[in-house]
Amino acid sequence: MLKRRSLISFILLCLLLTGCSGTQSRNTDPENDPWEGFNRKVYAFNDGLDKVVRPVAVGYDKIMPDPFQRGVGNFFRNLDAPVTFLNQILQGKFKQSGTTLGRFLLNSTFGLLGFFDVATGEGLYYYNEDLGQTLATWGYEDSRYLMLPFFGPSTFRDGAGRLADSYVHPVGRAIHGRNEWGLWIFRGIDQRARYLDQDAELEQAYDPYVLMRDVWLQNRQYQIYDGDPPIADYDLYLEDYPEEQPEPDL
Amino acid sequence: MRAFVRILFLACACVSANLFADHIHGSDPVSRVEDVTVHIFADVAENLQYYTDNPGALQALVRTDLMPLLDVDYAARLVLGRAGRGIEQAKIDEFASGMSNLLINRYSKGLLYFSSEVKLRVLPQRGDSNEKMTRVRTRVQLPKGGEAPVDYIFHKTPEGWKAFDVIVEGISYVTTYRNQIMPDVEANGIDSVIARLNSGQLELNE
Repeated sequence: MLKRRSLISFILLCLLLTGCSGTQSRNTDPENDPWEGFNRKVYAFNDGLDKVVRPVAVGYDKIMPDPFQRGVGNFFRNLDAPVTFLNQILQGKFKQSGTTLGRFLLNSTFGLLGFFDVATGEGLYYYNEDLGQTLATWGYEDSRYLMLPFFGPSTFRDGAGRLADSYVHPVGRAIHGRNEWGLWIFRGIDQRARYLDQDAELEQAYDPYVLMRDVWLQNRQYQIYDGDPPIADYDLYLEDYPEEQPEPDL
Repeated sequence: MRAFVRILFLACACVSANLFADHIHGSDPVSRVEDVTVHIFADVAENLQYYTDNPGALQALVRTDLMPLLDVDYAARLVLGRAGRGIEQAKIDEFASGMSNLLINRYSKGLLYFSSEVKLRVLPQRGDSNEKMTRVRTRVQLPKGGEAPVDYIFHKTPEGWKAFDVIVEGISYVTTYRNQIMPDVEANGIDSVIARLNSGQLELNE
């Protein structure tokens, strides 16, 4: 109970901090990222944290054979199923929610707690939905980019969605209910290990913060549109200055 | 067990679409991507050891097969955007060739990394294309599990359909490079960026 309160006050603290950050001068994307000053500070914090997390992830990646890592990936993907299932219903994707339920039942039993993805071989394909995506399909399309401490890139909408989803997600429930952080930490290390290949690229980038933001926002758009986002207006890229767009409220 | 799984699958009333392409071979973008990638992937799987020892040969293979499919000049202009205004064509060409070298090196490295496990399928065309532009969607199977969606954006040129952007999991190379390179060119000039591009290429060659 105490943990839950501390988590909420933590999020509120973040929001308060964002409120105080309007004085930053540098802004590379006023349209999507009006809180850039604050976000860059959180980015630096996460970057510092990574000095500890990365070596652990490197060790994990070295020790664990690929088939095991694949199994762990399957295991955590399977744990996402309840959140995906509920959000598919909220989005009216009833047929797909049936697939997700079928996958969850099949992989949790015959797939040995989700370690093996037997469902895909049976034509039960993986979907990924969350409350942030649901809110986007309901019309809350544009939201301000928000860098979350520990969790990394997000938007205001997706951060709030993530908090709500955590009350359904098994990993979140272990934290809220029993104050167990083991699964959360394990998942964090496993996910970090999956991004090791991209480290060099991020380091070499002209502006790593912008690269991470670009990559995350584009990939998020891709998820919201279920892999079929509209093609960018490339003609606009050849114009002198793109049209000014109003920034989203939140 | 398998029969039971089938029944459970049917009981869940879940329908899966057959995503495999059912297309006619020709000069359309879908066939072009399929022909080229199938050829490269097969060649690499067959001669993996040779290409691992001779990265130069692999880059030559990728260049010969892939380059006729790409509109490098258009991609370079998109990436430079407003920063490309007033820059002479020779410099833009130099920049474009630096970019395509980078792309070829990356692609070659990726091929070796995925090695013989790599499997690729080209999805059928969807409604989001028109006479001028189209998107070809492919799926690449990853060694650590799962599939990476890789899309190619084609546009019509006097020499036929050519790709100018690659989109991996929704992340566009053109858009992402643009947001890195445009401010870099504006701050440091095109020569410095070309030098950076070429030095990065050397690094990737190692």
